[in-house]
Formats: sequence, C-alpha cells, structure tokens
Amino acid sequence: MTVNEFVKKILFIEILKGLALTFKHMVTPAITRQYPAERREPVPGSRGLHALVRNPLTGKEKCVGCGLCAAMCPSQCIHIYTSEGDDHKKVVDRYEIEVLRCVFCALCVEACPYGAVALTEHFEYSGYTREEFYYTKERLLENWDKYMAGAKGEEYFEKFWRPKSVDFATAAQAVQAKERAGQ
Amino acid sequence: MTGVEMLIIVIKTVIVVSVFMLHVMYAQYFERKVIAHMQARLGPMRVGWHGILQPIADSLKLFLKEDIIPSSADRPIFYVAPIIGVIAALSSLAVIPLWEGLGVANLNIGILYILALSSVGSYCVILGGWASNSKYSFLGGLRSSAQVISYEIAMGLSLVGVMMMAGSANLSDIVKAQSGHWFIWYQPLACFVFVMSAIAETNRAPFDLTEAETELVAGFATEYSGMRWALFFMAEYAGMFIMTALGTICFLGGWNGPDFWIFAYVPKIVWLVLKIYGCIFIYFWIRATLPRYRYDQLMSIGWKIFIPLSLANIVVTGLVKIIWK
Repeated sequence: MTVNEFVKKILFIEILKGLALTFKHMVTPAITRQYPAERREPVPGSRGLHALVRNPLTGKEKCVGCGLCAAMCPSQCIHIYTSEGDDHKKVVDRYEIEVLRCVFCALCVEACPYGAVALTEHFEYSGYTREEFYYTKERLLENWDKYMAGAKGEEYFEKFWRPKSVDFATAAQAVQAKERAGQ
Repeated sequence: MTGVEMLIIVIKTVIVVSVFMLHVMYAQYFERKVIAHMQARLGPMRVGWHGILQPIADSLKLFLKEDIIPSSADRPIFYVAPIIGVIAALSSLAVIPLWEGLGVANLNIGILYILALSSVGSYCVILGGWASNSKYSFLGGLRSSAQVISYEIAMGLSLVGVMMMAGSANLSDIVKAQSGHWFIWYQPLACFVFVMSAIAETNRAPFDLTEAETELVAGFATEYSGMRWALFFMAEYAGMFIMTALGTICFLGGWNGPDFWIFAYVPKIVWLVLKIYGCIFIYFWIRATLPRYRYDQLMSIGWKIFIPLSLANIVVTGLVKIIWK
C-alpha cells in the first residue's frame, strides 16, 4: 500500500465521495411520477389493448378470416370461426382474443395482409373476472371506435404497421412492368 | 420522598415518554423521506399532505394485525423479548438532560447507566432470535450478541476520554463542561469511534448484520409480526435517539447553542433537538450510501481498529491532561 492509498483510506475519501453523491441526489428533484394524478401520454404506436379495424365504407370489420394472425400468434390466443355465406364468400362468424394470454408481440398486426387488426394505445384496463378479458368481435370493433377511430387509426397503419397488401401489389406490378420493359 | 414528588416524577416520565414516542414514530417517516430522496424517489406521498400521516396509518396497521406465534417457539421468551428492548431503550431516556435541570433524573453515573441499558437492550435481539426457533432468527441473534459485545467495548472506551475531559460521568456536568468549546474539537478520534460504534450498537446499516435482509430474511425479527414486530421497531428507533442524544451531549455540547442576537432567546432545548435530528440525519445518510459490511470485516474493524484507537485516545488524553495541568 502506497502512502497515497493509505492516506486515502484513513481519511475515507471514497466513502465521503459516496456521501456527497447521495446528498447531491437528495437536493435534486425526484424523478417519480405520481401515476394516477400525473399521467404520461402513451408513445404513438405503443402496444396496448387489441382492436379490430372497422371498415369506414361498409361499417363492418376489415377482417376476411384468412387466419394468418391466429397462425402467427405465439401464445395462440386468437380464435377465428368462419363459415360460407351467400355467393360463396367467407364470413367471419367469431373473432375472439384472450387478452390475458397475449404477450403483445404485435405479430398478428404484422401478419395481417389487410391491416385489419391493431393494438391500441389504451393500456389501463382491469377487471375482476377472466371473462372480462375475453374479447369478442363486437367488443374488439368497439375498441377501434373508442381508441383508434378517424385519423389516429389511419396514422397508425401509415406510420407503424403498413399492411403488406398496400406495398406488395405495387411492388409486384413494378417488377412485372420492369420485366416487360426488358423484353 | 413525599407523594407529591413521586407524582411529579410520574408526570414528567409520562410527558417525556409520550413526546419521545411521537418522535420515534416520525423518525421512521423522516428516514423514509430522506432515503427516498437520496434515491431520486419521493417516498410516502399518499396519506395526508406529502404522506405526513403515514406513521399513524402504519402504526394502526401494525396494531390491528394478527399476532402470529410459531408453534415451536419458546412462548414466554418470545413474548418478553420485544418488551425488554422497548423498556431498555425508554429507561435510558430517564438520564438524558434536555436542559439545565430538565430531565427525569439527574444521575451521577449517567453514561454508565446508558451503556448498561444498551447492553440489556441487546438481550431483546438475542432472546427474540433464540425463542423464535428459526435458523434465520437464531443466526441474527448470535450475530447480534457478538457484534454488541465487541462494539460496546469500543464505545465505552471512546466515552472515557469525554469523562476525563469533563471530570464527571454525569451528563449534565458533561454538557456544562462544554459551554466554551465542544468536545468534538478535543476528541475527534473518540467522536469518530463513538459514531461508528453507535451505528453498530443500534444495528443500523452498514452494520445491520443482525437483520441483514439479503442473507437472513429479517434476522432476529423474521418470526415476529404485528404488534410485537412494532415493539422491536420502536426499540431500534428509540435506541437510535438515545445514542444520538448521548453523542450530542458528549461531543456536540448538548443544549449549548449560539448566545448572540435573537438566538439567545431561543429555548436551549431547541438546540439539543436540532442537533439530535442532525445526527439522526447522518444515520440515514450513511444508510442510503454504504453497503452492508461482511460479518468478519465488522468484527475485525471492531477489534483491530476501533478498540486500539480508543485505547490510544485515552492514553493521549491522559498524558495531555497531566502535561497541561
């Protein structure tokens, strides 16, 4: 041990530094937010409660019942039941999400080719029973009306989860056009 | 002793103890606030303005909680242990002079009395740990006994220097001897040893080996709950107040304060209370800063550094007194 180290040790230089640091933190304001009183705006595009997108033209869900979201879902909490309707079109009878099992990975949103399912910014939901967290198609559509209707929903898909159908169609057409031009 | 005198003593005791208990309650609030702000948090904020009623809510909760006693516990000792702690801490209060002639008792051997009672107080930890019949409590109790024995020596020896300077073991006389200069200027080493030993004696961080949460769950208090746990808690905080009061009286001039301008009109007891709270703040400050010592480090600091230091301090003090006579 050198003289310098010895002097440092008996004068408690390190400990005094630590004490100075804690004192400095005591006089600087705390960073705590008083949650229910002081709320933070959720970050745009953050992953909260689920919603089914309502098509403004038809007033019904955009979902076509392809089941890609359910196939992608790692916690398998999406259940879709379809049937054959008039003129042989697929009809989505039930679209249900067990929110308590969801891990909020947003793979369903990513998988959906039509931008029909979304995660809203609403994260403060609670309940006393499991049934309250079993969201049926109607409740999911209501969620959309409540939290994402209008410009907000459009912006959500424009900025964060652009459905593949928007770009892929044009991209494929572009490739085809290029090939034709090359010939 | 006439009946009136006895009645006066009883009234004094009741007043001192009740005011003291209120301070003990709020010391816990003070600690939570100080440590929270040191960690960039806010601490209790919900009960009352800035959580000012938190201690009352806490004590209500503790009073109403179920009193759980382990089936294999040694019941009589389990009952008695926390009470010993509180009684020992509160009895020490009797000899603390709050002002000139203001105190429950004016004892000639005040320092010895407080030292003796703080040793009795360690029984509550040892007996509580033993009677709980749990390995964590038992280890906590054993550690406490070893810790208290080793640090009591250093603490007693560090106060010998003060007694030599004042020529008395009466706490009032010690304060009067410091009306000019406080003893911390003459006895800085003794003051340092006293502060460290007092922290170890009251089982506070960084020497809180008896209730080391990370190793021993809650140490000696693992099996205690509700009211009995609250008694342990009170004993700990009361012990802190006693130790800081003793330190204030022996090293920081007790109730002596500035004598000029408007300060001369302030009741002297205010200075004593302010100094005690300053010292308690240092307790919290140290707790918020330092990690816990390892058990063997604690022992080696006590035996290899503090005891030789305080012995050397006594020798030097004695020599200086002889030469400068």
